[in-house]
Amino acid sequence: MSAATGAPAPAPAPGAAPGAAASAPGLVATVVRLKLSLLRNGLRQSSGRRAAYVASAVLTLLFAALLLLGLIALRGHAHAVSLVVLLVTVFGLGWAVMPLFFPSGDETLDPTRLVMLPLRPLPLVRALLVASLVGIGPLLTLLMLAGSVVSVAHGAAAWTVGVFAVALALLVCVALARAVAAANIRLLSSRKGRDLAVLSGLVIAVGVQLVNFGVQRLGTSGLGELDPTAAVLRWLPPASAVGAVDSVSDGHYGVAAAQLAVSAAALALLVTAWARSMTRLMTSPDGSTLQAAEPSAQKRRGRAGPAARLLPGGRTGTVMERSLRYVWRDPKTKAAWVTSLAIGLIVPVFNALQGTGSVYFACFAAGMLGIQMYNQFGQDTSAFWMVAMTISSTRDAYDELRARALALLLITLPYATSVTVLTTALLGDWAKLPEVLGLSLALLGAMLATGAWTSARFPYSIPQEGYKNVAPGQAGLAWIAVFGGMVSAALLCAPVIAVTVWLNVSEGGDAWTWLLLPAGAVYGAGVTLLGLRLAAPRTAARLPEILTAVSKG
Amino acid sequence: MTSVRVRNLWKRFGQQVAVAGIDLDLPSGKFIGLVGPNGAGKTTTLSMVTGLLRPDQGSVEVVGHDVWRDPVEVKARIGVLPEGLRLFERLSGRELLSYSGRLRGLPGAEVDKRATQLLDVLDLAGAQHKLVVDYSTGMRKKIGLAAALLHNPEVLFLDEPFEGVDPVSAQIIRGVLERYTASGATVVFSSHVMELVESLCDWVAVMAAGRIRAQGTLEEVRGAAPSLQRAFLELVGAQGRDTGSDLDWLGGAGR
Ligand SMILES: Nc1ncnc2c1ncn2[C@@H]1O[C@H](COP(=O)(O)OP(=O)(O)O)[C@@H](O)[C@H]1O
Ligand SMILES: [Mg+2]
Repeated sequence: MSAATGAPAPAPAPGAAPGAAASAPGLVATVVRLKLSLLRNGLRQSSGRRAAYVASAVLTLLFAALLLLGLIALRGHAHAVSLVVLLVTVFGLGWAVMPLFFPSGDETLDPTRLVMLPLRPLPLVRALLVASLVGIGPLLTLLMLAGSVVSVAHGAAAWTVGVFAVALALLVCVALARAVAAANIRLLSSRKGRDLAVLSGLVIAVGVQLVNFGVQRLGTSGLGELDPTAAVLRWLPPASAVGAVDSVSDGHYGVAAAQLAVSAAALALLVTAWARSMTRLMTSPDGSTLQAAEPSAQKRRGRAGPAARLLPGGRTGTVMERSLRYVWRDPKTKAAWVTSLAIGLIVPVFNALQGTGSVYFACFAAGMLGIQMYNQFGQDTSAFWMVAMTISSTRDAYDELRARALALLLITLPYATSVTVLTTALLGDWAKLPEVLGLSLALLGAMLATGAWTSARFPYSIPQEGYKNVAPGQAGLAWIAVFGGMVSAALLCAPVIAVTVWLNVSEGGDAWTWLLLPAGAVYGAGVTLLGLRLAAPRTAARLPEILTAVSKG
Repeated sequence: MTSVRVRNLWKRFGQQVAVAGIDLDLPSGKFIGLVGPNGAGKTTTLSMVTGLLRPDQGSVEVVGHDVWRDPVEVKARIGVLPEGLRLFERLSGRELLSYSGRLRGLPGAEVDKRATQLLDVLDLAGAQHKLVVDYSTGMRKKIGLAAALLHNPEVLFLDEPFEGVDPVSAQIIRGVLERYTASGATVVFSSHVMELVESLCDWVAVMAAGRIRAQGTLEEVRGAAPSLQRAFLELVGAQGRDTGSDLDWLGGAGR
């Protein structure tokens, strides 16, 4: 098979295949229109979703404007280029990783949907690449790149190269995202591959950590610290395009040409790789048929194991058992959990190992795992109807939500405690252990409470096919649910945080900080129960609406 | 006695009126077919009747209780097999039955006993430990039917239960449903296949473009027409539409 596709993919000269492919500009316009109408349809379904989308667009634009202003202000700074090159690299990384997690509304760009059309890969790639440039993300990147050029360009030649560099870097970013996404679809179309995709969570976890360390370095020793890193990054696409602008400003035309060539080569390479994946996707049987042929790996799924028998009876135990099974068996749920578990461990422990950490970072574990309470019903997909059919009262809804929270606690409590103890041990700060544990518990409680509530109020679909975690048009809703929820959770924790601070700064308060452990535990439990109580009637009253919301995609 | 009573039920999706003010009185203890072409509004109607979709207007009573005001009474008495919605597919067939039975509050031992019998009758015993995600369409319909029957409901709603099902599975499903109605329970199922409805049902409701065009016993609806298919075409005024003249290029030597 690789021999067949490895043979030079015949680059179809325009007109070489009469009638097979629509003329390129026509195809580009069609795909762009298709993307816009899919986006519009996604938004038309509810005004809440529209509001959420507009809000997230406004926030992004605001951020873009600030970024632009900051970059312009940087103009003339001695180390400006170092920062700019790093920024472009981070954006490039973001583009590479984002499609794995939040490829909002890019249904046109899912080539598997276009398999049936008589299209050649190359014209299609061109059309999809242009369509990818439509959206908030590309706009943000465009503004960032423009700002970067402004901050390093000096002289007419540099400005001219700058315009070219912006276009090139933007295309590299978009092509990177598409190439990764296409490769990922192929990975995800087998059950094995889907389970492997769990690793992408670790990529994010490590990436966050690297950025974290980088920022800490900067904070201690200024922008000059970046120069050695930047010396390397200015040769890496897409940052090398912006690096070229700086080289021109300094009069190093040869270096600039080489840097531009590196980015251009990367673009060519990415587009080729993308076209390859697409050809293979369009010619090989799709995942659903492969799956049926796949030998069943799990031969015996026995009766409830010994562990399951320890669960309580009735609805509580039944729901807990199902939730826990899904953590292990459902690739999307599993990926989310592995990501949370990894970040929750890496952040506090790496920081502690670096000697820069604080025991309080251990709260990260509780916070990351608490996120799993969000969008509970979205995790069910449209199978939520089976739950909806058995919820006929607020009491049922309460039991359902409580059981899900309990399943989560079964993993989270021991895990967060272990991470906290480990971090404390690494830092040797045993006196702080009780208060950090107390804070963790309070935070966990607040996350469970807000998670239960937003699950009922802002449910959204998690498409099971492909690599997406949000259905088209629901991305804004998802962000608002999760971030709104996390901010509220932080606010809910405020009393415990306030007491912690107060005990730490007041004279002789240290003697009483152990009290924060029981206080945090009681507070967390109380807030959770309150959250469940408030979420239950909403869930019971909104069953059809929740089902509709989680059945998209 | 009526098992399902629907009054002035409406549902719009944007501009599109999916269900346009229908009235239905479905007798109990009968094998009832809701028949109509694709897009007639069958799925939308059944979703609203079973409480999975909120109507814009109108009332639904099942076994004498309002579906929206009295869900406690209704949900325990009905079984549902929707179309186009997933099951919990990462559970094995047996686990799915066990989950759904316990969720409905049946005692564990009873659930296990009934699940074993249902799996045997539906010829799923061999696949009971396979994940539902690996099931074929026919197996999915059968496991969905088992889950809907597990709590022995009074009224069973099935949306296109035979769609995409192989003949052997279809025969098995048919046998189970016939045995179930013989015990006095009501089955309401939707289909766009007239022959199927004609051979299975003793009572039919004909739906087209969001409205009920006729309802009654099979004989009443069929009237003088030789088959339900013909009666339906007469009802929607589509009989005798000649497709020959428009597609004269299709086939033949014109290639
Ligand atoms: N969620 C929805 N959004 C928009 N339109 C819908 C939705 N569900 C159904 N419809 C429309 O309502 C009409 C009736 O659909 P449906 O009840 O599924 O018909 P049937 O089951 O008889 O084939 C169709 O025209 C369909 O396009
Ligand atoms: Mg239907």
